[in-house]
Amino acid sequence: MTWEFHPLVKRVLDGELTLGDLPLELRPEAEEALRMLAALDRTPVTLSPGLDVRVMETVRRRAGSPATARESFRAVRVWRWISAPRDVEIRLRVRPWAVGALAAAAALVLLLLARPNATPRGAPAAPTAASAEGSVLVRFVLFAPRAHRVAIAGTFNQWDREATLLAPAGTTGVWTTTLALAPGQHQYAFVVDGERWVTDPAAPAVDDGFGRRNSVVAVPGARAL
Amino acid sequence: MGRAEPASDGAVVRAVLAGDVEQFAVLVRRYRDRYARYAAHMLGSADAAEDAIQDALIRAFDQLKQCREPDRFAGWFFLILRNRCFAERRRGLREPRPLEDAQQVATSSDGPDGAVERFERRSALARALHVLTPEQREVFVLKHVEGLAYEEIAQRTGTTVASLKMRMHRAYDRLRDELEEHR
Repeated sequence: MTWEFHPLVKRVLDGELTLGDLPLELRPEAEEALRMLAALDRTPVTLSPGLDVRVMETVRRRAGSPATARESFRAVRVWRWISAPRDVEIRLRVRPWAVGALAAAAALVLLLLARPNATPRGAPAAPTAASAEGSVLVRFVLFAPRAHRVAIAGTFNQWDREATLLAPAGTTGVWTTTLALAPGQHQYAFVVDGERWVTDPAAPAVDDGFGRRNSVVAVPGARAL
Repeated sequence: MGRAEPASDGAVVRAVLAGDVEQFAVLVRRYRDRYARYAAHMLGSADAAEDAIQDALIRAFDQLKQCREPDRFAGWFFLILRNRCFAERRRGLREPRPLEDAQQVATSSDGPDGAVERFERRSALARALHVLTPEQREVFVLKHVEGLAYEEIAQRTGTTVASLKMRMHRAYDRLRDELEEHR
């Protein structure tokens, strides 16, 4: 014989109904069910203080020696100092005709950059790479005609979805950006309109182990290009 | 002088990823106890929970590069711990011993005011919880021990409310069956 709770009693356990909502004949069963829940052990569980030390020892070992960690931290501080915004005042003396010439040159450059690229409308393009000093320039392309804003986040920018925006190529719905990446494998995804994560349809993807997919780009060493 | 705001999870994760490994200690302090009760109920003892949380924290460090929403580190870490608990339950590496743990409680809190009866009910339920599948056990623990609503559980586990309710209702029946059988 199997014992099952009445569906209405289950709703009492779920907190959707109270005892008073039940017909009289079901109340004893519901009271029994509630006694069962009341017996649950809800005492907080305290872990040993040594856990923090054990975890951090392992973490340091895996990240390299403590000295390496300190050096990395120093590098971070230097980078923060270099990258922090500062106020800089620049005064220029220019002749009006020179401004016109500069504007014409800038327009020419923009025109050249905005020329239709090899990516046909609607077709995904795999990230393309070109060599740069110490790192490799990789071009990312996404066709997203309804997007108002497209960013790229990945292991190269600590998954910061505000850090790297793609630029729209005219009104074609194609968004692109070119990043200088270190050789190695990088995982990434596009972020459309600040909230929708989109994998790159032109790149392989891997499961991140938690039910989501990340795109992958393998950047060869600059000499291999 | 106002006290400095503690760094957000996102800021700490980014600092670790940028090379400041020592910042990971902030996350360890923040999350070591938060899910301890959940893990203890899933695995059957505080010792097993401690091992699981230690492993999950180290795994989180190893895979931090894959945490693509650093500001939601809590949810991401919970999923790592959850996977660890499920894997251990399925492997059956560690048999929980709710009775042994509970017996010690009985000797210290025994008395004429119904404590024995409460203790017996508690240990019977603890035994019965171990016949549930990991999925049934999880929804039961998150709702009735951690006090989460179905919607919150759905968000944490990536499951629909309807399937959570189905799991829970099966868990109620299994628990009742088990408790009646050993009455």
